[in-house]
Amino acid sequence: MSTLHLSFYSAFTLSSLGLAFHRTHLVAALLCLESMLLSMYIALSTWPVETQMTSSALLPMLTLTFSACEAGTGLALLVASSRTHGSDHLHNLNLLQC
Amino acid sequence: METQLLLNSCMLTPMMIILMPTLLPLLSKSLQNSPLIITHTIKSAFLTSLLPLTLFMYSGTESITLCWEWKFIMNFKIPISLKIDQYSIMFLPIALFVTWSILQFALWYMASDPHLTKFFFYLMLFLIAMLILTIANNMFLLFIGWEGVGIMSFLLIGWWQGRAEANTAALQAVLYNRIGDIGLILSMAWFATTLNTWEMQILPSTQMSIFPLLGLILAATGKSAQFGLHPWLPAAMEGPTPVSALLHSSTMVVAGIFLLIRTHHMLATNQAALTLCLCLGALSTLFAATCAIMQNDIKKIIAFSTSSQLGLMMVTIGLNLPQLAFLHISTHAFFKAMLFLCSGSIIHSLGGEQDIRKMGGLQKTLPITTSCLTIGNLALMGTPFLAGFYSKDLIIENLNTSYLNTWALLLTLLATSFTATYSLRMTLLVQTGPVRLPPITPMNENSPTIIYPITRLALGSIMAGLLITSFIVPTKTLPMTMPTLTKTAAISATILGIIMATELTNMTHTLTQPKQTNITNFSSMLGFFNYLTHRTASTSLLTNGQKIASHLIDYSWYKKMGPEGLADLQLSAAKTSTLLHNGLIKAYLGSFALSILIIILYSH
Repeated sequence: MSTLHLSFYSAFTLSSLGLAFHRTHLVAALLCLESMLLSMYIALSTWPVETQMTSSALLPMLTLTFSACEAGTGLALLVASSRTHGSDHLHNLNLLQC
Repeated sequence: METQLLLNSCMLTPMMIILMPTLLPLLSKSLQNSPLIITHTIKSAFLTSLLPLTLFMYSGTESITLCWEWKFIMNFKIPISLKIDQYSIMFLPIALFVTWSILQFALWYMASDPHLTKFFFYLMLFLIAMLILTIANNMFLLFIGWEGVGIMSFLLIGWWQGRAEANTAALQAVLYNRIGDIGLILSMAWFATTLNTWEMQILPSTQMSIFPLLGLILAATGKSAQFGLHPWLPAAMEGPTPVSALLHSSTMVVAGIFLLIRTHHMLATNQAALTLCLCLGALSTLFAATCAIMQNDIKKIIAFSTSSQLGLMMVTIGLNLPQLAFLHISTHAFFKAMLFLCSGSIIHSLGGEQDIRKMGGLQKTLPITTSCLTIGNLALMGTPFLAGFYSKDLIIENLNTSYLNTWALLLTLLATSFTATYSLRMTLLVQTGPVRLPPITPMNENSPTIIYPITRLALGSIMAGLLITSFIVPTKTLPMTMPTLTKTAAISATILGIIMATELTNMTHTLTQPKQTNITNFSSMLGFFNYLTHRTASTSLLTNGQKIASHLIDYSWYKKMGPEGLADLQLSAAKTSTLLHNGLIKAYLGSFALSILIIILYSH
C-alpha cells in the first residue's frame, strides 16, 4: 500500500494498542483515543481525494466535531475521577470487581 | 384286600391319636393338656402303630398311597398325598417309641420348668411335623413338614430364652437350615417348571440334569449338618436335653437323609451326584469325629457323634443303598437318644455339671445310667450283634467291596476308629477313674420316670438291629463274600480306636499339662470353621452391599458424575475465571485487542 495508507493504518493500530495496553494513567488512554480519532480524520480526509467522491467530503468535519465532544467528555470524566479518587491511576477504577 | 384296608385304617389311627392334644383343648375347657396327657397320648399312639407295622411285614405289601385333594376354591386344589411304604411305616413306631421315652424322661428332667405343658406341646408339634415329612408323597407336603421341624427346632433350642447363647444357637440353626432350604426350593421349582409335578413317584429315574439333585443335596447338607453347613448342630446343644435327644439325634437331623432316601431313584443314575454325596459324607464324618475327640462337654461329644453318624448315612446314600441308610437311621435313633438321656441323667445328678473332666467314678453311684451309657457307646461303636452292628458293619462292608473313591473309604474307616476313641474316652472319663466331683452332689436316679425310659431304649439298642433286619426284605443283594481282612475291617478299626482311647485316658491321668500342638488346636477349635466363615460371610455381603448401594450409586453417580458433579465442574470453571474479572478496564480492552488481532490474522 502507499505510504499514506501505511501511515494512518499504523497510527491507528498503534494508538488502539496503546489504548488497550495502557499502564497507569487514564490520560494516556485518552491521548491514545485522540490519536486514533486523528488518524481516522486523516484517513477520511484523503479518501474523497483518492476516490474523487466529493459527496463524502463532509465526513471529516463530522468526525472532528464528534471527536472534540468526546475529548471533552473524556477530560470531564478524568477530572471527576481525579477529584474523587485523588489521582487518575487506573487501578483505582475497580468498582465493578467482584 | 381286607389286610390292606385294615392296614390303611390302622395307619391312620396313630396319626389321629397324635393330633388329639392339638384339637381337644380347643373344643372344650375341661380337656386342657398336661404333660402326662401328652406322654400317654404318644404311648398309646406307639402301641397302636405296632399293628400296621406287623400287618405290613406279614402281608408283604410294597406301598400304599393315599390321595386326597383339598379343594380350596374352584381351581385351586391342594394335593394331600400320603405314602405308606417300608420307610414311613417303620419310622413311625420307632419315632413314637423314642419320643415316648424322651417325654417320660422330660417329666423328670424338666419338672421344675414353669411352662412344662408348652414344652411338651412343642415337642408334640415337632413330632407331628416330622411324621408329615415322613409320610409325604409329594414335595409340597414334605416341604410343610420340613419347615415345621425347622421352626420347632428354633423354638425348642431357644427354650431358655433368657440365655444369650441359646438365642444365638437357635438363630444359627435357623440360618443354616435356611441355606439348605434354598436347595430344596430350587429343586421344587425345577420339578414344577420342568416336570410339572411334585409327586415323588412321577419324578423320573432316567438320566436327568444334575441341577435338582444338587438342590436336594444342598437341602440335606443344611438339615443333616454335613460339612459346610454343620456348625448349628453342636451349637444346638444349648437347648434342653430332651430337645437334643429328640431333635438333634434321632429325628430332625435325619430329615435331610430321609429326603435323599425318598428321592434316591433320581440319584441312582447320576454318578456325579452319588460321588458328591459320598465325599461330602466322608468328609463330614471324619471332621465331626475329629472335633469330638477334643471335646470336654458331654453333650457336645454326643452331638459331634450324631454329626459323624449323619455323615456315615450320607456315605451310604452315596453308595446307592437307601435301605441301608434307613436301617442306620432306625438303629441310630435308639442308641443316640439313649446316650442323650443318660447324659441328661448324669447332668442332673451332678447338679448341672456337663464337663467330663469333672466327672469320674460314676459307675458305682449311678449304676443304671452308666450301664446304659456303656450299652449305648458299644452300640455306637458297632459292637457285634448290638443294634449299631447291623447297620454300621454292613455299611463298612459295602464300602470295602464297592468301586468307589478311595479317599472316601479311608476317611470313613478313620472316622470309625475315631468313633471308638471318643466314645471310650467319654465312658472312661465319666464312669471310671478317680472321682473328680465336688463332695456334695444331688445324685439320685431312683425315680421310675428316669429309669424306665433309659432301660427301654437300652433294650431297643440291643434288640432293634436284629428285629429290623429280620423282618425287612432287602432290595439289593448285600455283599456276601469278601476277604477276611475286609470282613473284619470295621472291627479292627474300632479296636484300633479303643487302643488309642485307652492311651489317651492313661495320658490324662498323669499330671502333665497337655501340649498344644497344631493338631490338637485344630480339633478343639472345631477346625476354625466357625471363625473363618461366620465373620467373612456377613462382612463380604455387607461390604458388597455398601459398595453397590452407597459407593456406586450414591457417591459416584449422584455426586461425582451426576448433578453435583456438573455443579462442581461449573464451579471450578467459575473460580478460575473470577480472577480475570477484576473490574479493571485494562483487562477488557486487552482482551478486546487480542481478539481483534486473532481475527485479523485468521482472516488473512
